[in-house]
Amino acid sequence: MVTSNPAPALHNQLSWKPRLTAHHLSLQAEKLMLEMQDPKTGVKSQPQRLFNSPAPLSVCFSSAEARSFGSTLVALGYIYPLRDHKRLVIKPDASLYRFQTPYFWPTQQWPVEDTDYAIYLAKRNIRKKGILELHEQEQYNRLHKWMNHKWDFIVMQAKEQYRAAKERKKPDRVVFECQERAYWVVHRPPMIFTQQSIMRPRVKSSVSIGALVKYCATYRSHDPFLSNCLPSNPWLTDDVTYWTLNMPNVEIPTKMRVERWTFSFGELLSDPRGRNDFRLFLKKEFSGENLAFWESCEDLKWGTAATMREKAEQIYKTFLARGAPRWINIDGKTMEVTVKGLKHPHRYVLDAAQTHIYMLMKKDSYGRYMKSPVFKDTLQKAMSPEEHKFRTFLFKRRPSLSPIVLRQQEQEQKAKMAANVDITQLCRFTTPVPHLAVYSGISDFPSANASPSLPFLAQTPVCPSPISVALDSTSASDRRVEASEGEGEGNPAAPATVGGNASKSRVALSLRRLLRRGCTPTTMFASLSPKCHSAAGTSSRIQPISPDQPSQAPPRRIAK
Amino acid sequence: PAHFQEEIANGGTHFDHTPVRNECKTMLDALNKVTACYRHLVIALGSTSDSQNLREELKRTRKKAQELAVANRTKLTSLLKDKSISKEDRAEYERLWVLFSSSMELLEVDMKRSLEIGQDFPLKVPTRHLIQTGMTGSTTTVAARAMSVQNMKYEADSNIDTADLRDLQSEISQVTQMMEEMEMKVQVAPWAVEAKQEAGAELKSNMSVGNSSVGVISICEEEPKEEEGGGGNRDAGFASICAVLVFLVIITVAVVLGYLVINMS
Repeated sequence: MVTSNPAPALHNQLSWKPRLTAHHLSLQAEKLMLEMQDPKTGVKSQPQRLFNSPAPLSVCFSSAEARSFGSTLVALGYIYPLRDHKRLVIKPDASLYRFQTPYFWPTQQWPVEDTDYAIYLAKRNIRKKGILELHEQEQYNRLHKWMNHKWDFIVMQAKEQYRAAKERKKPDRVVFECQERAYWVVHRPPMIFTQQSIMRPRVKSSVSIGALVKYCATYRSHDPFLSNCLPSNPWLTDDVTYWTLNMPNVEIPTKMRVERWTFSFGELLSDPRGRNDFRLFLKKEFSGENLAFWESCEDLKWGTAATMREKAEQIYKTFLARGAPRWINIDGKTMEVTVKGLKHPHRYVLDAAQTHIYMLMKKDSYGRYMKSPVFKDTLQKAMSPEEHKFRTFLFKRRPSLSPIVLRQQEQEQKAKMAANVDITQLCRFTTPVPHLAVYSGISDFPSANASPSLPFLAQTPVCPSPISVALDSTSASDRRVEASEGEGEGNPAAPATVGGNASKSRVALSLRRLLRRGCTPTTMFASLSPKCHSAAGTSSRIQPISPDQPSQAPPRRIAK
Repeated sequence: PAHFQEEIANGGTHFDHTPVRNECKTMLDALNKVTACYRHLVIALGSTSDSQNLREELKRTRKKAQELAVANRTKLTSLLKDKSISKEDRAEYERLWVLFSSSMELLEVDMKRSLEIGQDFPLKVPTRHLIQTGMTGSTTTVAARAMSVQNMKYEADSNIDTADLRDLQSEISQVTQMMEEMEMKVQVAPWAVEAKQEAGAELKSNMSVGNSSVGVISICEEEPKEEEGGGGNRDAGFASICAVLVFLVIITVAVVLGYLVINMS
């Protein structure tokens, strides 16, 4: 009798972890099988009466726990039932089971061969005098057709195996036949092949393709690679406006974003801004508890295992208990199932209730939300950014700052700094406002930036950031490059050590570039918060990263 | 007969392959039998019918199988290399070749499995228990059938379960090598072979490729009867009880009639 669970750890694993691979499971099962054989600590087998002859041993599973891990073993094929052999389950009665011999254990490295199955069917044919079960007959015919070239061998081998088996004594023969039959029930389950394939659910291709076409048509204009994204795709133009405007909890969403909310309820919920809007609407309608419940369920699903218990209790107290402060309205059956499941809470215990509430919100509140003043207001306020003016440069892909290049510049800068003594020890922090003046090109700084590139700021050597160091080194080499080429975007700035001539030429260079660009989007820089500013001064260097080194620059820089 | 005509057509020097064919068939039958017995023995490994004797049986059956395999291979390869064989004969030898290679595939798999299970279930380790499959009897009769002897004599050492594994490993590699050579040297397309047997041929007795050592297949009605709960037994019981009852009724009727007759007279 198997009354208690000899391996609680394994039991837990078997019940909880659906992601256990088949191989891992087999190893565990084999270990368990071996443990169960120990006459002292394993299970006790009982003799079973059979034709008044010495009885083969069998086992019975009595407790629920034992049944649960036994069911995995029987499903895999490590033990088999003696009665009702086609159903590989452990029944909650005193039915008997027997251990399978190691040769018939399921292992991945020994694939189940059709030849063996054909031999088995032929043997069975002999034993049953030609009367096979329907599924066996089907399989037999199928194999006869596909393995015809081997059929002589199959017949020969079947006959010989049959005769060899008959050499054993009767009880052993019976056990052997049971074993073999159980093996094939596991590996060739008795389902009628043709019927099964007919009953398999299929979707018409017109339906599935139609769905695909509809999806593509809806989302096409929202795909940043298939159509222009406003203001510009940051990966192409190195302009992060797009990301800034679409931050999770931005005040004013973009029109495209709001349009996405109308596609489906799932879109609305998955967008945090949309969810906020929806929450606002529900608050006005006094049905906010649905969304709150849904969010708590998500929290439970995705949260840490340690907090699960408390969360589940909290949710129950807040939403599900009778007289709860935010009681949600779900149907009686779901409530029953949920409450029952909450006795042993796990991650997915509230799935049924969550789905119910989701569908409720989708069918009911979502429709009303779309027509509500809240949504209309949001829609009206939604802004649509202008397309980036530097359209021409979209086609000419400017080389972006490569990390290798950056690192080299960093190293050069370090070397330079080591060589030079610091000119200024101060790192001056100023308010952004003077900077805007700088960025609009009014200042006499040589580093007026007109590029749409990421405007990072550098500091004095005293408080260097890697970016600043990079910038410095960029500028240092850039200067040389750009003085000679006069091309490319971005501005180098003069380190304090540079002489006036160089700065003058740089000013000219940058002004030229300014005019070429024709625009200095100051708002862009305002939205970014520079880390450390430096005030006007000979030491200060305000320079953006110039991500756009001319393509010829790298080799030259390396040479230098 | 057609065979005779063909001989004349070939210029009369055509060698009659019938005895050669029969010899091949006999050898193949022997190999087939040993393979079947070997599989049966391997299935018993690791279970409660496992024992030192079983390990010795496995060893000897295996060696016999290998001898037969080598003999078969030599014979068949030499025949298949012979270019002067007629098309019919060649087709037949190809068929026999397919039989041979299928047997060898089974044998190879079973040898590998017996190595694996033999390693997993050493007999001398007290903490390692055999699986209680319910089989308790010995497999000596199966082995005797394989070896074509009346009784098996066991002479091996008591540590054969571990000692034999080394031999087994080398034999497996030999067999694998042999099969690779076979693949390369003999160009026979297995799927092109047409089987002589139809579906259900196994039901007919004496429909064999050659001479099997055991004659008639006795079609037996054994069935694992657990699911019927010994139904057959019960049926037999019922029948006998009914017969007894009927008998008793008849006796009673006879006695009553006799009594009445006596009373009347």
